Amino acid sequence: MTNTESLENVILELRRGVIVLATLSQLGTEQYGYSLLKQLSDQGMEVDQGTLYPLLRRLEAQGLLESVWKLEEARPRRYYIISAEGRKLLPKLKKEWAGIVSVMGKMLA
Amino acid sequence: MNLLDRYVTEVGKHLLLVKGHKDIEKELRSTLEDMLEDRAQKAGRTSDEAMEMELLNEYGSPRKVAATYNPQLYLIGPHMFPFFLLVLKIVTLVITTVLLILTGLKIATMSPMAGPEFAKTIGEGLLGIISAIIAAFGNIVLVFAILERVVPAIDFKMDEEKEWDPASLKQETEPDEVKIWEPILAIIFTFIALSIFNYNPQLIGIYTFSGDKWSIIPILTEAFFRWLPWINIGWVFEIILNGVLLRMGHWNMPTRIASVGIKVFQIVIGTFMLTGPSILAVTPKSLLASGIFDADSAQILGAMAQNGVRGLIALIIFITGVDVIKTVYKLITQSPSVKA
Repeated sequence: MTNTESLENVILELRRGVIVLATLSQLGTEQYGYSLLKQLSDQGMEVDQGTLYPLLRRLEAQGLLESVWKLEEARPRRYYIISAEGRKLLPKLKKEWAGIVSVMGKMLA
Repeated sequence: MNLLDRYVTEVGKHLLLVKGHKDIEKELRSTLEDMLEDRAQKAGRTSDEAMEMELLNEYGSPRKVAATYNPQLYLIGPHMFPFFLLVLKIVTLVITTVLLILTGLKIATMSPMAGPEFAKTIGEGLLGIISAIIAAFGNIVLVFAILERVVPAIDFKMDEEKEWDPASLKQETEPDEVKIWEPILAIIFTFIALSIFNYNPQLIGIYTFSGDKWSIIPILTEAFFRWLPWINIGWVFEIILNGVLLRMGHWNMPTRIASVGIKVFQIVIGTFMLTGPSILAVTPKSLLASGIFDADSAQILGAMAQNGVRGLIALIIFITGVDVIKTVYKLITQSPSVKA
């Protein structure tokens, strides 16, 4: 494995843990998959669609998201929104994230 | 059918076993249309086939896209793997020990042996051990592969993975608790018995060495094989019951009643086998015909074997009967606290 590949793998691992928090934080209002993908991208969080869509399904299966199909512009779209359970979890995740940032900030200073 | 439809259909072919695959296909199609529309707007023209091709190329091969939705497929998953290894070690140890003892007995009863004959006996013994271990391995893998798909993963945790409380040292053993290895071993050994009696009955016999080759004298009669379908029913119900116990982790009233039912069924079969024609083919006549024994020895050994097998069946019936009485007693006395 080359250094570049190792770096990419480590970055991928780092980002993977953050995507859940990023996704939950953006679904306070309902969005369909592609609009969420673009919203995350616009804010600097590039997520591969092959990562996001299965993640949305997994979070829904865990009860953290809810989804509903809507027909728009003659096209069915699946809209996701954070569930009540997800809303309860989000502040705890944010707190955990803040703790990690603080600790890592000190360690890397 | 346009390119996008074909692409979605191709992805769907790899998602057939995934729950909600139709929903995934529908969402994928909607996403691809959104992405295509987005690209067309940015390019300032309507979408065409070249644009579709470019999009699909970037999205990835259907197999790769489908793989992102497929959970990791295991024959035996990480939760169950430690149990698999534990059972495999126990069964391998038991098989090796038993077959080594049998090989030793063969060598002891046939001594003195010439060098090549001795080497051949050792070689056959080792080959027997290897083939028995391979067969047992296959059976164990099959049983665990089935358990992997029917028992929730959370039920499979080695003791050291569970939160340990020193206070547990003071606790009495819970009477309704099922030790996880008990149903697993019961399932595996019942499965092996089912395989041997139904598919390899020729393995059950007396192994004799005459001249330069081994021969097997079958020890079970037609009468036994007439009862085998009924015995199989009992075994299958035992496997199901042990699967349920494994899943639940404790006994309750329905499982105790089921256990009593299976045992009573087995006692009835055992009683018919005990009172009906003999299930053992080893008789004074067959022993005499084997040419190994003289008339007197054949008469004594044959009678002993016939009485011995009937005694063994009677003993099994007695032990099973005691077990039934104990279980019924538990049902009566502990019924208020039994978990439903």
